[in-house]
Amino acid sequence: MNKTKNAAFAYSFLLPSALLTLVLGIYPIAWAFRYMFYNYKGYGTARFIGLDNFSRILRDAEFWDSVVNTFVYAGGKLLLSIPLSLLLAAILNRKIRGRQLLRAVFFMPTVISTAVMAVVFFTIFNSYNGILNQFLIKFNISSSGIDWLGPKHAMLTVILVAVWGAVGNYMLLFLAGLQNIPEDVYESSSLDGANKIQQFRFITLPMLGPVLQMVIMLAIINALKGYESIMVLTEGGPAGKTEVMFLYLYKLFFPVGGSSASTQVQEFGYGSAVAFVSAVIVGMISLIYFYASRRMNRID
Amino acid sequence: MRTKEITGKTVLWIFLLALAFVTLIPVVITILGSFKTNIELTTGATVLPSKWHFSNYANAWDKANFSTYTMNSLIVSLTTVAGTLLVASMAAYVVDRMDFFGKKIYIGMQSFTMFVAVGAVVLRPQFDLMVKLHLHSSLWGVILILISAHASIFFILLSFMKGIPRELDEAARIDGSSLGRTFWTIILPLLGPGLGVGALFTFRGAWNEYLLPLVFTMTKPELQTLTVGLANLKYGISAASQTHYMMAGACLSILPILVAYVFANKSFMQMTAGSLKG
Repeated sequence: MNKTKNAAFAYSFLLPSALLTLVLGIYPIAWAFRYMFYNYKGYGTARFIGLDNFSRILRDAEFWDSVVNTFVYAGGKLLLSIPLSLLLAAILNRKIRGRQLLRAVFFMPTVISTAVMAVVFFTIFNSYNGILNQFLIKFNISSSGIDWLGPKHAMLTVILVAVWGAVGNYMLLFLAGLQNIPEDVYESSSLDGANKIQQFRFITLPMLGPVLQMVIMLAIINALKGYESIMVLTEGGPAGKTEVMFLYLYKLFFPVGGSSASTQVQEFGYGSAVAFVSAVIVGMISLIYFYASRRMNRID
Repeated sequence: MRTKEITGKTVLWIFLLALAFVTLIPVVITILGSFKTNIELTTGATVLPSKWHFSNYANAWDKANFSTYTMNSLIVSLTTVAGTLLVASMAAYVVDRMDFFGKKIYIGMQSFTMFVAVGAVVLRPQFDLMVKLHLHSSLWGVILILISAHASIFFILLSFMKGIPRELDEAARIDGSSLGRTFWTIILPLLGPGLGVGALFTFRGAWNEYLLPLVFTMTKPELQTLTVGLANLKYGISAASQTHYMMAGACLSILPILVAYVFANKSFMQMTAGSLKG
């Protein structure tokens, strides 16, 4: 008797959470899973076409361009943000003056909206009368400014914006990892005459292995999936130069509010298939990385 | 040796200060820019405004509809925080304290939604569902979807729940308190710190959310939130003549979260660092 009463209570308390998760979390994924075998443009009836969407993906040059762009974007973001955040964490883990304030400063970008900051960065990097170019011209560093969002530099610019937003977050995760390394290891090594760089190379890096592995994993997944700031900053332009995988995917489902792409046709069936392939690509990269980096998980 | 140490220290500090400068400058540009005229912004190359135009805020508030956007952002964020905390804490309570059939399935479901994300695809069926429920032309659709993504808050609260001694439940039961009453009068108040960080994180997420409100307000500008309204200014026909409004609007959307951050800096730091373990 009491037991059934308890179970009823448990289910009633679980219901709101379970219902919301099921209806708005699980069902949409199942929906996408179904429609990737259909030709469905969002109106009319959906027609089952088997694997046709997948053979179309193989021939879709625009999609594969976006995959290449995603790798360039993710690679650039990682190459800049991981070493920088690790270095910052190593410095700010020492007892230097003002470290609390500096930590707070470097972490600040992560609390601000990416979309809002993308708008701000747009006014800063804007090629014509952008704030940065105004200063470059004023101080005679460049005679006519740099075309930051033009075909040549747009990718670099979106990477820099992404690094700005990410460094503080990874720094903090590294700091948490560093705090688990016992202080006396450093003390005994400095008695043995190791300098700070040697200590970093032979103590900090190896002992940080598991954390490093996990943070890089997070960073890879985030970089492969991120598109919000690119969407606001460049809309994937110019001429698709910054179009990443998940932005291309977004455009198959929703016309982008901007100027050029708003004529795009909605393709729910094909988009679902693209989503599946994209998710598999992200999953595969993570798995490959995970197995390749297993060595880091061992602390010798 | 001594000079070497001093050079090392100098290099270190130049590096740190340069990075801090780069990190802060976009926000400083936004704040200072929000007081400049449009012409000064687009051709001026000045650091400080030549004259402080506080009227930008009044104009952005009235003419560029930022009063509406702010209201919408507040409604969405505060309701999402309240809903998320309620739903997640109730679930965390029974999952931690009780045994029932389906518990493992529920936990598996929550982890699944946290780790499997296929981008914008899920927005489409979510939107269609809201059309069927007649919630697509109100902010409730956005709020419900935001609340539904409470998996991470659930796990955070679960770990806090484990820290509350079970003896308290026992004592309450012996005193004749029902399970529901125990939750509301004993557990929830003790869960305070957990609810605090949960609120902080949910608020940050909801206040900064861009895609969801964008999709739901495509045909209804009066429902736009700050992030959406602001990004739309960029696309507007007269975008070039509104840079100062854009800056003022950006400040309106950055400052609340920045103030919250300054006050709750420690919790932000601890939570992010703590997520490493769980």
